[in-house]
Parts: sequence; structure tokens; C-alpha cells
Amino acid sequence: MRFHPILALFAALLSLAAPAHAVLRVDINTGIQQPMPIAVPAFAAQAVAQTPAGSTTDLGRQVAEVISNDLASTGLFRVIDPAAFTTTVAFGDVGQPQFPNWRTVAAQALITGFVTANGDGTVTVGCYLYDVFSEEELTRQGFTTQPQFWRRAAHKCADAVYARLTGETGYFDSRIVYVSETGPKTARIKRLAIMDQDGANHRFLTNGQSLVLTPRFAPNQQTIAYMSFAGNRPRVYVYNIGTGRQELVLDAPNMTFAPRFAPDGASLVISMAVGGNTDVYRLDLSSRRLTRLTTSPGIDTAASYSPDGSKIVFESDRGGSQQIYVMNADGSNQQRISFGDGRYATPVWSPRGDLIAFTRIGGGKFQIGVMRPDGGGERLLTDSWQDEGPTWSPNGRVIMFFRTGQSSRTASGRADLWSVDLTGVNLRPLRTPLDGSDPAWSPLLP
Amino acid sequence: MTMTEGRAMMLAGGAHLALLAGLSLSWSMTAKTLPQVVEAVPVEIVEISDMARVTEPPKPSMEAAPQETVEATAPTPAPDEAAAPPAPKPAPKTASDMPAPNAKAEPPKPADKAKDKAADAAKKAGPQRLDSQQLASLLDKKLPKAERKPLNTSALATSLEKSIPRGAQLDARATATLEQAIRSQVAPCWNPPIGGAEVGRMTVQLRIQMAKDGRVLGTPQIIGQTGVTAANSTFAKAFAESARRAVLRCSPLTLPPDLYDAWKLFELNFDPRQML
Repeated sequence: MRFHPILALFAALLSLAAPAHAVLRVDINTGIQQPMPIAVPAFAAQAVAQTPAGSTTDLGRQVAEVISNDLASTGLFRVIDPAAFTTTVAFGDVGQPQFPNWRTVAAQALITGFVTANGDGTVTVGCYLYDVFSEEELTRQGFTTQPQFWRRAAHKCADAVYARLTGETGYFDSRIVYVSETGPKTARIKRLAIMDQDGANHRFLTNGQSLVLTPRFAPNQQTIAYMSFAGNRPRVYVYNIGTGRQELVLDAPNMTFAPRFAPDGASLVISMAVGGNTDVYRLDLSSRRLTRLTTSPGIDTAASYSPDGSKIVFESDRGGSQQIYVMNADGSNQQRISFGDGRYATPVWSPRGDLIAFTRIGGGKFQIGVMRPDGGGERLLTDSWQDEGPTWSPNGRVIMFFRTGQSSRTASGRADLWSVDLTGVNLRPLRTPLDGSDPAWSPLLP
Repeated sequence: MTMTEGRAMMLAGGAHLALLAGLSLSWSMTAKTLPQVVEAVPVEIVEISDMARVTEPPKPSMEAAPQETVEATAPTPAPDEAAAPPAPKPAPKTASDMPAPNAKAEPPKPADKAKDKAADAAKKAGPQRLDSQQLASLLDKKLPKAERKPLNTSALATSLEKSIPRGAQLDARATATLEQAIRSQVAPCWNPPIGGAEVGRMTVQLRIQMAKDGRVLGTPQIIGQTGVTAANSTFAKAFAESARRAVLRCSPLTLPPDLYDAWKLFELNFDPRQML
């Protein structure tokens, strides 16, 4: 290759002009989007000890498995198969792992930890995160708990790791309440059920005597508002998970439904049908005072607060078809924000505040989507026959919803819980013992 | 070694380990205050979880509540792993799981191509010349599963090396080519956390010191970052570390040894806007 004389002259001038030791500066404008390989070897037991939840050795292995499942379920991490590991991490090495061994299996991050049985019957789970390349400790957390709650310690560890590596808060130590369904179409039994975010610790809250719908968590995750057909009168109740106590929130002759808590937990927004006109009301839970927020003819329902409590998003058919509207928390300044094709229902404000999730009905399909609170940036995240009822993960990155298959003349279509992240790529089913619908995601547990 | 000796050794070893572990962990775990679940969790949580394990009906409801109790015969769902979502292992184990952390291994084709080209270039260059690429490709062949596979034989770097007379001053064109050689090797190692709301407005600058064989010396220094606010400092940290990790993962870089003076110290500006 030869240089043109003039170019060569230019080059010579340039090299004269620039100081000989000018530091080379390079822009990196692209990267890759791949799950980060992470190694989660079994947590070490300080000494093998028996606990009511199994031996500390077993717990150490199970804690690592729960953390692995949490991280893998995000689609942001690839958990390296432990069969590929060249080494285990002994108790003494938890704080000083041999990084070359983990580079060998292509891990970029490493989680080590231990399980110790304490004299008072509790266990302590210690959890450490390392950057395998810089060989730095990135975070560490320790949790002491009763042995039977070891899964929560594992979820808390996974949350800490997720937060440190992504810069967002985690969502693993949280729960799902939903409607468990079984039976033929004409005699469907619907019960409230609750489980951990990963499907573990499943239990039923109600026995199915009365049909229940739309459970929603209070900010304290201890109370659930829902609609029940008890006594063949559809009305809103609250359920205290700790005591099992259920309470009718408003003893009115009218049908009340679609409850949702205000961010401070002190009031509910509900829908009430009065004389063929359904409007959104705020119900103060201590005084039981009712404030009407909408007045338009038609159905205004499915209200949901913005995380700062200043605004409410809801659906209304006042314009002729179901659409999404936003108003101030006192009912003023009602503005329509959805203008796409089809109808829009069940809007839910993200805990991050930046997006509103909804069900879009059109083209013979129900799909889950998101838009900004000003109505812009609309995106559909799912594409199936019938996806509806979105609920946000506590960090506003994942949406859970339920998917219904086509029903026959006698049988309901199978309904299942699914989750999808904001990219729309990471779509996952969440297995439940029976059919599942109307999920509601709790805030992070304390 | 007899059985007793073996046992004695194990005991002694175990005691040592326990001592070491006790010392290191007691220090490390007391060094920072650990949030304790028992203290942090309100009593109710504990009670609920208790209820979850005992299939007892909940306490009687208030008068206003519907007469519902959880029947004892309620099908008890398998609460543990069985009910948990299927262990999601997104990518089935492939060859790329095994070798050293080399983002260039995926997709495999370009890497292979580059390797071939590098091998060709090495042939042409003649045997007596010390050529890091040739070494790299040799290493590639001999140690396909080496702990840290030498990265990215870059055709660009090869052509650059050939085009520049040894010891020559770097002209603008050579600089551009060198920049491209670095960019093409670092970008495929960078996996920025783009889930954060503010990622589009964030950049980070690193200063990197290099050994003549292309290895990154020490830990890249973070010399600047833009777009950091009080609200996104956690994310800013994760973002800066993703850039640092990219450089370390890609080490060693394949760059022309003759031009070492030009790249023994360089700066990288990571800007993900185009990825969004």
C-alpha cells in the first residue's frame, strides 16, 4: 500500500501538529445484549447442623438454587450449570474465592455464601457478590431468620445481587395474590390464593363459597382488597392475610367493584354503580366517607393511582368505546390518553411512575401493552388470543397478567398466569395448582 | 499413610479451616452491620408464614364478612420447587458456555473467519518476525479451552500493521484504523444494563494501560461519567462497572506491537445511545 504524496504531507503535518503523546481516545457506541453469565455455587455450611427445615448443607444448596432461579427468570442472567464448575466454595473461601476457577467457566459474576445454624434456633444466611474479572467484592448481605423462612433470605440475596448488577431495585422477595379457578363453565369455583413470586408457598385464602374477583394488595402487603359475590351481592371487601378476617368496606345497596389502594393505604378507589351509571369514588378507610371523582354518564372504572398519589388513571366508555383517561386525584382535569385502534381497559400505573400498563382489545385479541402517562410511546408486549389484567412487579420492570385459551360450549378456556418484561422478550408462565387469573403483585416485603 | 494418620491429617486440616473460616468470616460479617430479617420483618409476616405451613382454617370472620373458611380438605399444593417456575436455563449448554470469557465466540462465524484471516496473514508475514497474532492463533489451536482464550484476532489490526512502516509516526489514517481495531474488539464485550430509565443519557470514560502483549494492566480507571443524578447513582455505578468489565473481559487485545507507543495508554468513551 502506498501513500499519495499529498496525503503523506498532510500526515506529516498532523503528526507535527499533534503532540507526540496525545492519548488515543476511542468511542464505544455499541455493545451486546446478552444475559450475564453468573455462577452460584452451593452456599457453604459452617458446620453440618440439623434445622427444622433440613440440614444446613441442604439449605445451602437450596438457597443457591432459589437465587439461581430468581436471577435466571429475569432473562438478564445466565446461571452457569453447576455441573461445569471446577470447584466448590468451602466455608473458609466464601470471603476469598479463587477467581481463576470461575473465569475458567466463563462466569462474569460470582455469588458465594454460607448458612449457619445459630444457638437460638435461627439460621443466618450470608451472601457475597463478586466481579470475577476485577476480583472485587461488589456487595454482601446477611440475613437471620427462622429456618422455615430460608426462601425469603434467598430472595433477599437475589434482590441484592440484582440491584447491584443492574442498578434497579429487585423484586424477588414479593408475593402474588390471584384468583384460583376450577370447575365447569357454569359452576366455576373461584378462590383467592397467595404464593411467593416464584410460585412457592402456595396457599388458598378463601374456600370458594363465593365467587371472587380482582384482588389488589395494600401497600403494607398485609391487606387485600377484592370483589366478592357473597350473598349474591357483588361488593368490595378487604381481607387481612395475618388474621384471615374479611370485612365489607361499604354497606351500601349498590354494587361496588374494581378496588385499588391509594399509595398511602389510607383509602381505596372503587367503582360504584348507581342507577345504571358507574363512577369512580374514593373511599376513606377510617371514616368510610365516600367521595365521588367522576360524573360522566356511562361506565368509569378500573381506577389506579400514580405512585405519588397525585393522579389516577381509569377506563371510561364516555366517548363511545372503552378508553384510558387520566385525572388529578381529586377528579379534576380528566383527559383521554389512549387513541390507538381498538379498545383499552384495566390501566395500571407503574410503581416507577413512567408507564401505564393496559389491556388492548382489538383485532379479535386481548393484548398487554404499555404507554406513557401522556399517552405516547404505546407498545404492545404480548400477542396471544386473550391476555389481560396486567400487574406490575415492585420495580416496574416486569408485568404479570393472565392468558386464557379458547373456551368450548361447556368448558372454560384454560387460564394461566404469565409474566413479561418491558422488552416483551422475556415471556414466562408461572405454574399454579389450578387455573389462575387476576394476579396482583405485592410490593417488596420488608 | 495409615488410616489414623489420614484421619489425624483431616482433623488437623479441618481445625485449621474452621479457625481460618471463623476468623475471616467473623471479621467480615461483623465488619458491616447486617440487616436482620427477624428484626426487619413485622410480626405479621412471621404469623402468615406460620399459617402457610399449618393447614388450619383462618380465624372466624367478622359479622360483615362472608361465611368463608379455608376448608381443611383444600388440595395442598406442592409448595416448594415443584410449584416454582421451571428452573429457567435460558440457553441450553452450548460450546460457547465452556471456553473462556470471550464474547467474540458468539456469534462463532466472524471469529472463525477472523482467525483464518489472521492465520493467512501470519503465513505471509514470514516466520522470523515476532507476530503476536501468529502466537495468538497458535494458542487458539493448541488450547481451545484455555482459561482465557486470546481474543479477537482482528483483520483490521493485521492490515494496519502491514500498512505502517516500523517505527513510523502514526498518521491520522493509522490512528483511525487503530481506533477501529480497539473498538471492534471492545464493543462485543460490552453488555450495558440498558433496563434503567436513564441509560440513554449516560456515558462513562475509562483510562486503560496496556502491556505490549495486549494485556490490560491493572484495573481500568474511571476518569469521567456524564448523566449521573442523585436519583440514579446506583445505576451509574452498575453502568460504569459494565464498561470496566468489558475491557477486562476483552483482555488481551490484539494490536500491532510496532505501534505500542500509540496504544500503551488510551481512553475509551462508552456511550450506549445508539443501542436503544
